[in-house]
Amino acid sequence: MAEKKHSIWVFGDYRNYFQNRVTLQLLSRANDLAKMIDAEVCATVFGHEVDEWVGEYIAHGASKVYVCDHPALTFYSTDIYVVLMERLVRQYGPEIILVGATSFGREFAPRLAKRLKTGLTADCVGLDINDEGLLVQTAPAFGGSLLTRIVTPEKRPQMATVRPGVFQEIPHNYQAAGEIVNVPLPDDLPEDRIRLVSSERQAAREQKLGDASVVVCGGRGMGSRKKFRNLYDLARVLGGEVGATRPVVYAKWADEDALVGQADKHISPKVLFSFGISGAIQHTAGIKNAGFIIAVNKNPNAAMMKMADVAIVADAGQVCTALIRELKKRIRS
Amino acid sequence: MLKMIVCMKQVPMVSDLPWDPITGTLTRGAAEGMMNPACKHALEAALLLKEKHDGHITAITMGPPSAEEILREAIALGADRCLMVSDPKMAGADTLATSFTLARAIEIFCPDFDLILCGCHTSDSETAQVGPQLSEELDIPSIASVESLELREKTLRITRVSDHFLETLEMDLPGLVTIATGRFIPRYASMAGLGDAFQDPGILTVGARDLGLDEHDVGLKGSATRILDIFTPVGRKENIVLTGAPKKIVEELFERFDDAIGSVIRKDLKAEK
Amino acid sequence: MEFNACMKHKLVRKSVREFAEAELGPIAHEIDRQARFPLEVIEKMRPLNFFGLQAPKRYGGAELDSISYAVTVEEISRVSGSVGLCITVHNSVGVYPILKYGSQEQKERFVPKLASGEHIGAFCLTEANAGSDAGGVETHAMMDGDRYVINGTKIFVTNGGVCTMPLVFAITDPLKKPGENASVFIVERGTPGFSVGEIEDLCGMRANPVSSLFFEDCRVPRENLLGREGDGLKIGLATLDTGRIGIGAQAVGIAQAAYEASVKYSKERQQFKKPISSFQSIQNMLADMATEIDAARLLVYRACAYRDSGKPFGKEAAMAKLHASATASRVTGKAVQIHGGYGYSKEYDVERYFRDAKVTEIYEGTSEIQRMVISRAILSEPV
Repeated sequence: MAEKKHSIWVFGDYRNYFQNRVTLQLLSRANDLAKMIDAEVCATVFGHEVDEWVGEYIAHGASKVYVCDHPALTFYSTDIYVVLMERLVRQYGPEIILVGATSFGREFAPRLAKRLKTGLTADCVGLDINDEGLLVQTAPAFGGSLLTRIVTPEKRPQMATVRPGVFQEIPHNYQAAGEIVNVPLPDDLPEDRIRLVSSERQAAREQKLGDASVVVCGGRGMGSRKKFRNLYDLARVLGGEVGATRPVVYAKWADEDALVGQADKHISPKVLFSFGISGAIQHTAGIKNAGFIIAVNKNPNAAMMKMADVAIVADAGQVCTALIRELKKRIRS
Repeated sequence: MLKMIVCMKQVPMVSDLPWDPITGTLTRGAAEGMMNPACKHALEAALLLKEKHDGHITAITMGPPSAEEILREAIALGADRCLMVSDPKMAGADTLATSFTLARAIEIFCPDFDLILCGCHTSDSETAQVGPQLSEELDIPSIASVESLELREKTLRITRVSDHFLETLEMDLPGLVTIATGRFIPRYASMAGLGDAFQDPGILTVGARDLGLDEHDVGLKGSATRILDIFTPVGRKENIVLTGAPKKIVEELFERFDDAIGSVIRKDLKAEK
Repeated sequence: MEFNACMKHKLVRKSVREFAEAELGPIAHEIDRQARFPLEVIEKMRPLNFFGLQAPKRYGGAELDSISYAVTVEEISRVSGSVGLCITVHNSVGVYPILKYGSQEQKERFVPKLASGEHIGAFCLTEANAGSDAGGVETHAMMDGDRYVINGTKIFVTNGGVCTMPLVFAITDPLKKPGENASVFIVERGTPGFSVGEIEDLCGMRANPVSSLFFEDCRVPRENLLGREGDGLKIGLATLDTGRIGIGAQAVGIAQAAYEASVKYSKERQQFKKPISSFQSIQNMLADMATEIDAARLLVYRACAYRDSGKPFGKEAAMAKLHASATASRVTGKAVQIHGGYGYSKEYDVERYFRDAKVTEIYEGTSEIQRMVISRAILSEPV
């Protein structure tokens, strides 16, 4: 096979694999980009006993995988992975590196970019190639209210992190062929300066709001703490979670855990019910990835009503009660 | 004495009037500035450490002259000293240039620090990159998105949530942490603190020359990335408006969307015939 | 729209606004509805020096300049007129007179407790027969041994229900002419004979515990006489000058809140398929509101600047109070009008601003009295 002009690397972030599919999504997009700049798509995998992930990545679009498999790499370590990756990059010179914007990726990528003295764009919602063959990185600002298009004109590699869910993975093909390049663990790796004392899966409860597919959010328009608490009944009937705006949390109608908005929790439910919320930017920044939005507000011109797919002009408390009644009727039958 | 540095940024106050909620655009020039919320949380974490361990806090910002306001606010809240890194040449810096410039300033003007604290991300660009890149530039370890901090001698024990894992980590100082919002609820500035913050006639301001840097190291020229353009995402949805009595609205809602909602909650919501 | 004298005033404004919106914002409507003084928020205000805004540092105060003080009162009043009233009355007419006229011993005994907010102050002047006419005061304080015995009833005392160290204006020598016959006393709660009446049921400022205070053979030590016997009127007048700046700032804050609500509402409310902000009649109203509020604010700041520079500022304070209170009434009235039917409903905040605004034209010297003060000043000035 003829040597490709460039290579696009995707960092293999395999932790939480079955829910976390960002690497597969990036491999898919990398393939689209690769066609435009005549590149091959590679993945990098660091860890111990990683054959399964290597296989998955080849099945999802990687034509080459650089693997460093060693017991010392059993747990993710930013310090060590950054050094390993830097060495690989200097040896093989990829044109583009894509990293999933998981918690790990958002710490790993900037440190790698700094070591390589190159540019990095975070949380991209779009990746393209322009006429000059440059990677155009589209990233949000101000909680997504603005989008910026960014390029790295001279420094290489061009780097970007991308949040899960932005791109679609290609269906797997376990017949696909891929080259595996085994990278030995260097014996002069520096010691990890961060010591892992313990690591436990987060309690299922805490993940709920962020992962929920149905969320019922409430704001001051609910009127009182008593009426606000009805939202919990609605959420229960729908099998969803309750979210709240900052003023509601301050008024102690809901716990801090329920807060939804910029700099706090971002949610991405498939269906979002928004009761008595005006739609201040601090809140809407946290719900921009919601699928189907049903907003209830007495004010038809509130910003939240403009964002919604269905805008219900009525008293939020009354609609909540009517909705609970109707749902109970229909679900029973 | 625990020597701490808190890096902070002045960001636009987006809830200010120049924001148009209907079109979603901001006239940046007209917006008032404020201390980035996450930076305020970082300062609060530092203040708590200062109270517990006899500490000293230097607040640093790289920004235009108006950013002095957030340094004064930091003093009102309890910071001991401030450093303003400001120079027209520094405008347009991406995170690579920003972290480089801040590192130089720290090396020259507050070199023997124990701990640097940064906010996890800013409310405008939200990259979360400056903290980790600053630690690389200074060759010190760093941990991002910290939710709790405990200092024992020269070792910092932190907890944080990373990709659904609750991690407890240890790091020897000197080091850097970025603070997650939500845990260190900032205190309010007292009125006496605000009055005192302006007693000091001047704040130490340093420019590119004072850092031994020229225009190619800083700002736009020192950046690896370039912004091509900024635009507002296509927003306005075709939306359906329902009015009337709540009971009637709910019936109509189900008439049109029982499948859409039902498929998500995995229940059949069709009415009985 | 903002007149920012400098970075310090900008930062004071932002900081106080942040506190007021977070702590008072969620409950402002409810405390007005329930006529409840929010002790839980007052508790949070204490360590932040809101009760010692201009008191010297050595007494635990913040020692702020007058403009910073006015900005603080404005920002609190913008969220809750009632709490803004508590703060300005406590600082301007509860603490300030002791600082200006008290002996060193009195300052040390009373100011730290007031500046910390542990004790809340007030000024008791008004009586059933003495509103604008201070000469109608009947409460008297007669010397008996080393005590003054105070008898009388004071009405409409702001902070009455919670004040623990009010200043009381009483006649000490009925034979002397007005101007020399009254004195001011610091009366401590717990003194036998001092009791508090029921909280008044008022149109506005409902979260402030305004009440009557009763003095029945209330024996007060002579060490609690502020200044000298006969200084009553002098202290009263000087106190009112300072108090008027605070009320002016309060009125500006209330007007500002009503104006902001009107701008927001007019952009969102659609009639005839357009936002009402596109109609000239609304635009004209908003333009007038914005201009009047700016003018009122500047008058308040000018009085502050004169005060801080040591210049006499009675006329300037009266002008500020006169104009700011009239502005508050006009602006809040227009705000209700702009909101239409919704403005008349308790669901929205504008009717509260409307009710709160009116009294700023009445207390601490009615607008009629302010005009008297101003005209006397201008007619006695050299041409």
